[in-house]
Amino acid sequence: MAAPLTLLLIVAVSIRLFLFRSSLVGLIAERVEVVSPLNAWKRVIEGLALLDLGVSPYSGDVFHETPLIIYLFHFVVDYAEITFMLADAITAVALYLAVKDYNTQVLKKQRLELEADRYPMDCLELVRSPKQMYYIPLKVAMFYLLNPFTILSCVAKSTCGLNNAVLALFFLFTIKKNTLLSAIFLALATYQSIYPITLCAPAMLYVMQRQYIPVNYRWASFWWFVAQYLFMYLGSLSVIVFLSFFLLGSWDYVPSVYGFILSVPDLTPNIGLFWYFFAEMFEHFRLFFLCVFQINIFFYTIPLSIKLKDQPVFLMFMQLAVISIFKSYPTVGDLALYLAFLPVWSHLHRFLRNIFLVTCVLIACSALFPVLWHLWIYAGSANSNFYYAITLLFNVAQILLVSDYFYAFLRREHHLTYGLYLKKKDGSEATLVLK
Amino acid sequence: MLANLVLSFNCTYLAVLLSFIRFNKHVGNFFSSQHTNNWAVLVCTSRFWFNYRHVANTLSVYRSVKRLGIPDSHIVLMLADDMACNHRNPKPATVFSHKNMELNVYGDDVEVDYRGYEVTVENFLRVLTGRLPPSTPRSKRLLSDDRSNILIYLTGHGGNGFLKFQDSEEISNVELADAFEQMWQKRRYNELLFIIDTCQGASMYERFYSPNLMALASSQVGEDSLSHQPDLAIGVHLMDRYTFYLLEFLEDIHPASKTNMNDLFKVCPKSQCVSTPGHRTDLFLRDPGSVLITDFFGSVRKVELTTDAINLTEPITPVEDQEKEPYSYVDQLPVSEIIHQKPKQKDWHPPDGFILGLWTLIILVFFRTYGVKHLKHIF
Repeated sequence: MAAPLTLLLIVAVSIRLFLFRSSLVGLIAERVEVVSPLNAWKRVIEGLALLDLGVSPYSGDVFHETPLIIYLFHFVVDYAEITFMLADAITAVALYLAVKDYNTQVLKKQRLELEADRYPMDCLELVRSPKQMYYIPLKVAMFYLLNPFTILSCVAKSTCGLNNAVLALFFLFTIKKNTLLSAIFLALATYQSIYPITLCAPAMLYVMQRQYIPVNYRWASFWWFVAQYLFMYLGSLSVIVFLSFFLLGSWDYVPSVYGFILSVPDLTPNIGLFWYFFAEMFEHFRLFFLCVFQINIFFYTIPLSIKLKDQPVFLMFMQLAVISIFKSYPTVGDLALYLAFLPVWSHLHRFLRNIFLVTCVLIACSALFPVLWHLWIYAGSANSNFYYAITLLFNVAQILLVSDYFYAFLRREHHLTYGLYLKKKDGSEATLVLK
Repeated sequence: MLANLVLSFNCTYLAVLLSFIRFNKHVGNFFSSQHTNNWAVLVCTSRFWFNYRHVANTLSVYRSVKRLGIPDSHIVLMLADDMACNHRNPKPATVFSHKNMELNVYGDDVEVDYRGYEVTVENFLRVLTGRLPPSTPRSKRLLSDDRSNILIYLTGHGGNGFLKFQDSEEISNVELADAFEQMWQKRRYNELLFIIDTCQGASMYERFYSPNLMALASSQVGEDSLSHQPDLAIGVHLMDRYTFYLLEFLEDIHPASKTNMNDLFKVCPKSQCVSTPGHRTDLFLRDPGSVLITDFFGSVRKVELTTDAINLTEPITPVEDQEKEPYSYVDQLPVSEIIHQKPKQKDWHPPDGFILGLWTLIILVFFRTYGVKHLKHIF
């Protein structure tokens, strides 16, 4: 499978190179759907320029990325395009390898359960075969690299691509059971934007499953593992934080990066939900609603991990989706990462109910974003309500997508336990409802 | 420019002529006021078609002031909306002040300096105090000096202590009084006449505290200024009562008239304007009875009379040739030696300790992951 992957990489790199050399670069780099105040390339350049002038790059609400990004781009700023294409390639390869390993695990587990006769007779058509799953890793890499959202994000040189690379590497090392590296990369991802801290739970659950530690609070080995992982994670996070302090010699970056993400002072329109709401918020309610909106992201971790404790990879997918939808400054690059996971759940397509609607809404909204932006800002005949309506619709479609996959996943699990053709007590056909 | 010259020539001619006729009796009168030029700032602060009467008010005062000699270059006319070319105007390009369309105050040569949304409280105060950006053209500036008599006329919707601009902001009487004080301290006026035609207009001059200010208002605090007559063809009220009777009064004034301020205070008694007009003269240093209407509404130039003869026919003797220094190119100052050289921009480098620490960590993690056995290749 190396050859098709190489071919895919070459195609993706050539598309990006072609777009880099075209005149669309400036246009894409300033679109608010693709770049946000957190990850715009313009701001990175500003921060580096301020640094060269001897001033802290965090003065003046320009630069909101972490000091390690400064360190990286101080050396490679002339090769920025190559860096971002490399980041995309690393993400794709990491996802490819991870999904390949995950498929092996899935097949192994399935074989064990088949031999133990755990599946009812009539749901054998739901059992997956290696032949079906052969092309999934390639499809995952393809979904990531050839997704228009990823291409736009790469051409705009938004540091979201780097964040995606770190998350993909974290995913790879989690699947490969490498606790230390997975903790380190999760710490890096958390260091860049706070929200990946919620991915601790699925990572721990997966590694515990692979190491055959029962997920039960009564077992000592469970707590011992949790303590180990958290120690590694928090340790590497603090090491990275202190290293950043030594890089610039001051703690300015903490309020500029984390304070900025959490307190949302910049209300530039983007594809998220925060800006419109906080633009019309009275001052004395602001803190309350800020807490409500931010807790919304962290809130789904515990219930979902209790429900999905046996399927931590699906939990990771759902958590990534929740982060991308509800984070304070989302961009289309964040979407691209969790959309890349969809081929892994391609066996669920017979249970998906709203997929046509969701696809149409996503495509229509993506097309309407620039139109309504133009009408609002340039033509002056629309206002922010129009743009926010499309943002809302876009997010609703994403939520519908995620909940649809959740429904399909749970339904398949149910069928695998209770049989495919469910009958009510009087023998007539029953339907499953997600309550 | 030419019209300006002709008008001023006319005024001076008239003044000289009249002064010759009544030389002895009125010479005291003639030199009593010490102003040399006249300015007018006429502001209409309301927009929308139903506030037609405020624009008509301002334009009728503009017309009178121009007729009495103040040129357009000395008038700052601020109209918040365009009534003449409003699409609801059944008689386009006209603004009438009398019903039955007797008098078109718009005319052919109206020069509006601030129009539409430019009429804001900020712009008005900037015009008065002179603090305008350098790019402002002369026609939008009040270029008065300490020998200028200024007429300020405001009309619109007002209340107790404020005047509403453009339906969205207000100017308070305190702000206005402070603006006038700034003008006094910067010697931007000699004497100032302030006329306001709004509801509760007297509240706007209550707070004045600078010298040489005289103020008139169309109604007292607690009273509303009422409009005069609606015209059924145009569909709106054409003028406010106070300004209507003021216009009638001013139509009888000509540049040589000797009517004084006491007559102006009698304009529009309560029987005609249902409100009680008010005035304030305590800050004014001269007796109002000795102040001519034309001191503020017209532009009567002062003329100096002399009985000496001036001989214009002798050849003018040239001034002695003064020893002129030849101009030479001055050597440039050695600037670069004098001022500091700009320090060379140092590129920022990450501290060495950081680089060392980071790479040590990376190597440690690498070896921890891939086994310690690789270390023996190094050591």
